[in-house]
Amino acid sequence: MKWVKQYEETIIPVIALLLSLTVAGIVIALLGNNPFAVFANLLRGSGILPKLRYAGGKSMLTDLCSFLNYWTPMIFAALGVAVALKAGLFNIAISGQMLVAGFTSSVIVGYSSIQSVIAKPLVLLISIVAGGAVGALIGWLKYRFNINEVVSSIMLNYILQYIVAFFISMYYVDPISRQSRAVSDESRLTLANVEFGGYRYDIPLGMIVALFAIAGVQFVCKKTTLGYELGAVGLNRKAARYAGINVGRTMLLAMFISGALAGLAGATYYLGYFASIQPKVLAAMGYDSIAVALLGNSNPIGILFASFLISVIGKGSTYMSSTSGLDAELSSVIISLILLFSACKVYIRHSINKATDKRKARVEK
Amino acid sequence: MSEYIVEMRNITKRFPGIVANDDVTIQIKKGEVYALLGENGAGKSTLMSMLFGMYEPDVGEIYVRGNREIISSPSYATSLYIGMVHQHFKLVSNYTIAENIIMGIEPMKRFLGLLPYVDIKSANEEIARLSSEYGLEVDPTKRICDVPVSVQQRVEILKMLYRDADILIFDEPTAVLTPQEIEFLLKIIEGLKKAGKTVILITHKLEEIKKVADRCAILNRGKVIDVMDVRNTSTAEMASKMVGREISSERKKAGARYGEEVLVVQHLTVKDDNGFDIVKNVSLCVRQGEIVAVAGVAGNGQVELADAIAGFKKVSSGKIVLNGKEIANKTIRGRIQSGISYIPEDRQSYGLVLDFSLAENLVLKKYNQEPYARKGIRNQQEVELFSERLQKNYDIRSARGNQTIVRSMSGGNQQKAIIAREVEQDSSLIIFVQPTRGLDVGAIHNIHNQILAERDKGKAILLVSLELDEVMALADTIAVMYNGQILTCEDATSLSIDEVGQYMMGVVNI
Amino acid sequence: MIENIIGEGMTFALPLFVMAIGGIYSERSGITNLALEGLQGVGAFVGALAAVLLARVFGAQSQLPYYAALLFAMLGGTLYASLHALLCVYFKANQVINGVVVNILAMALTAVFTKGINRRLFGTPSDKFVLGVSERWSILEKSVYPFEVIIVVVAMISWYVLYRTKYGLRLRACGDNPHAVDAAGIDVAKIRFTAVLVSGALSGLAGISFAYSVSASFSSGIYVGYGYLSIAALIFGNWKIVPTLVACLVFGFAKSGGYQLVQAAGLPSSYSDLIMILPYVLTLLLLVFFSKHNHAPRALGEIYDKGKR
Repeated sequence: MKWVKQYEETIIPVIALLLSLTVAGIVIALLGNNPFAVFANLLRGSGILPKLRYAGGKSMLTDLCSFLNYWTPMIFAALGVAVALKAGLFNIAISGQMLVAGFTSSVIVGYSSIQSVIAKPLVLLISIVAGGAVGALIGWLKYRFNINEVVSSIMLNYILQYIVAFFISMYYVDPISRQSRAVSDESRLTLANVEFGGYRYDIPLGMIVALFAIAGVQFVCKKTTLGYELGAVGLNRKAARYAGINVGRTMLLAMFISGALAGLAGATYYLGYFASIQPKVLAAMGYDSIAVALLGNSNPIGILFASFLISVIGKGSTYMSSTSGLDAELSSVIISLILLFSACKVYIRHSINKATDKRKARVEK
Repeated sequence: MSEYIVEMRNITKRFPGIVANDDVTIQIKKGEVYALLGENGAGKSTLMSMLFGMYEPDVGEIYVRGNREIISSPSYATSLYIGMVHQHFKLVSNYTIAENIIMGIEPMKRFLGLLPYVDIKSANEEIARLSSEYGLEVDPTKRICDVPVSVQQRVEILKMLYRDADILIFDEPTAVLTPQEIEFLLKIIEGLKKAGKTVILITHKLEEIKKVADRCAILNRGKVIDVMDVRNTSTAEMASKMVGREISSERKKAGARYGEEVLVVQHLTVKDDNGFDIVKNVSLCVRQGEIVAVAGVAGNGQVELADAIAGFKKVSSGKIVLNGKEIANKTIRGRIQSGISYIPEDRQSYGLVLDFSLAENLVLKKYNQEPYARKGIRNQQEVELFSERLQKNYDIRSARGNQTIVRSMSGGNQQKAIIAREVEQDSSLIIFVQPTRGLDVGAIHNIHNQILAERDKGKAILLVSLELDEVMALADTIAVMYNGQILTCEDATSLSIDEVGQYMMGVVNI
Repeated sequence: MIENIIGEGMTFALPLFVMAIGGIYSERSGITNLALEGLQGVGAFVGALAAVLLARVFGAQSQLPYYAALLFAMLGGTLYASLHALLCVYFKANQVINGVVVNILAMALTAVFTKGINRRLFGTPSDKFVLGVSERWSILEKSVYPFEVIIVVVAMISWYVLYRTKYGLRLRACGDNPHAVDAAGIDVAKIRFTAVLVSGALSGLAGISFAYSVSASFSSGIYVGYGYLSIAALIFGNWKIVPTLVACLVFGFAKSGGYQLVQAAGLPSSYSDLIMILPYVLTLLLLVFFSKHNHAPRALGEIYDKGKR
């Protein structure tokens, strides 16, 4: 049983995942469907398994590319949640930060005629600043006024949602789609409709940045003094202060980085996966990313795997719904269940420890 | 019926990694004062926690008034008329004394014969009656957070009496009291005995036992070493049995050689969170090679004074000068770098990041300095070398060396780690706040020696302690704080323990 | 106009208030409760479902479904709150994270079930339950929703229980020092568990009240952060019932006042989006001014472990 303890960090999320998939499977079975068929359809919808039929110009690879476009912002968003968690803060304004980043970079770059080479990096930069600013505001409110970051995050989410909706409907609305006008191809972080061998693909450029972000967050957390400070503040604020760490500055910085990563998620979502913004709606990804971060143990490598999984469930839901005849919202139920069981991690760990202790005691006797 | 009111037979209790009680048998007669003597960690508290139903023994039987009982909860213990005053009081700070006492068995009345409500009025009267009957003076309508520790303790005693308990357990009741308050408490205990109550006293202080106890069981490493009649036994005999070896109570302390003034505090005033002055116009000076001990009853501003010097509390007026430089406006890190080391009172909340590894904790104050980090990038190898050196030099023991999660270490080793780290800072001023709280005699001895060694190296040392014995043993100069002020600051040799006690109670004219 | 502002303000403030009382119960017992949002949503869902089903039996004219809805909303909220209570009290989950998780789960579950039930039971592809119109009572020549009166009564009972009964005495003690409560032979976990259940019942009542007063229907539109507003209100009210009422009234009047203003000024509908943010901005401002000075219950959010001393 020693190995259980050793790989605890991996085993616990896996247990949480299996439990939630089991419960989800039971729910699906109760609704009269075969859970395995439903799960398979989720994979098919994400381009991991082949579908029975493809429309003209599309292939499994097309679906996979589309999936990668969806996966990219999920990685950023979850990294954002994880960095904040590392410092003991719970950033649930991810979707608001995504929206602000997407909106400002759409307005500044997306509706201009700036050339691709400048436009794309500029979108990234603006998104970092915009998302980071919102994050920093929450951090500041927390530190300066002791305002619970969850409450202020939610308030900001609503405020931003309505303000952006106001501006879109006043100035940037597309009269037909009722969404914001589409951004220029030059500014998009996805190369749309690239033809190759008779099929069309959306090439996810943002994915490269996302992989760098994973490495970057990993490096900062493990190797830098900043990472040490984030960890100390997150685990014991009093001791961090005692060690001479400027707790307020560190919290602010954590929330800035978290917001900046959410901003990048917004850029790759609204100017990548999509090319426009639907007003008065916050991206569900903001909440899904919490599930990713918790399931992935706030560890960048864990997040890579967890985000893949949650993205499959999120992205595959449309196809699953059309083929299995279940509501697409079922995927949000599955994700919530994963969340719920991930939140019980402490209890699962406790149970494991108890089981190993008992075994140990028995062996000793 | 048996002659014993409480019998605990062959009790064994294990916790992960430790046997707290090993085949312990004790028998307590009705109406006696029975003392449990032993070092910290000898298993006294665990044994009594089982009598009070907080744990259940792994092996063994408990008899109360001759009946075999399985005491599964404190409320069951209460129903057997057993009461306990814990070392850390269990009181609701924003409730009145009466509310605290009645909680669990609230007297009820009905409004208009219908709606039940807690009858606080009759509770107040009942408590006033009880308190005068046993000489435990309290005002039932006062809030716990507004009364001193000694009154809080009386509330705990009243809690037991209000429940008609006649087996009363006291867990280290004198640790937080002044000598005069201890005197008073011992009188109360004698009064309780006269009223026919059985008292079990957990302590490691011999004088107290000598004064009030009839019999005394000595525990060492979870076992009962001996049970003796107190009247016929000398304290020296008890002491050697308790520790399991002969100890010399005299410590060799070299004569003090003071150097230059390191810390000068002038007219310092500090406010607490509610805006009241908690440190009032305090002036103090610590020289090289000098141990200045600040004595006082808990909550009289000693900790806040230390916090203000180290930068955790804002100074509202006055000066703090370290090595000739004003530091009152510096950040915490600024003060660390100017030469302040600080061993905090609450080592688990302040001194350590419990979920960090030992190596990361040992480098807590240097993680960002060369060679442990360069330009923001940490050098793990240097950190580990440093950590290993400290573990060796300061005898810090842990299961997995550098990688040990500090939470899993024993209290003594946690404290060793903190002291190692702070001493290694090589600061000119070291502040110790309650450095030996909750540690066993061996560890205390070690830490005292370390403090003296630093003093002899020429460090300036500010020691804040509630333990009067510790103050008397170590201090070159004693400052007594009462109600935020320093009432006296004198050479240690010119003050007796009773005089210090008087000052601690705020009696100025001696 | 002033009449309108007060009337509409009360209609919004009272459900907010009763939900905040629920929050006070939970938090004074030591359990951080960010799950109010989800509790009111699930409560409203269960209540609305009961109303829709009963309306088919008793006809659209009957007011019985309305009162049954209030009752079932409280039951639904209580039942769902047991999830938060179970995880926080017995499974020792992080209370902040768990609260948010419970909210997300509530949104997902109610959305799926609303759609599913509409399709399977009623054969309509709708994502909402349409409720009948609630009757109005006339009190002091003013027309009020019955739920407003009920909430006032419930609030008074809640005050009495919290401050005058032994359950209340023990509950508030749990939020300050659970060890003291335990030492007095009282089961801390039980008190905390029931306190969270109370918050579920009260939130359910609030949720169904919002459903009736805002849109006379249940849909995902119920999740607009009212749960978080009530948390802000109770922080502002320093975890005490009467000051919290003041905060809720401020929110209520600000909201209704804003609407009246837009209507009076005849601004285009896009501007109503801006008015929508008023309660949220106000919340942040209030928190800025009051968070620092207010004291949360001492043991709030701490996981209570009997073994630790």
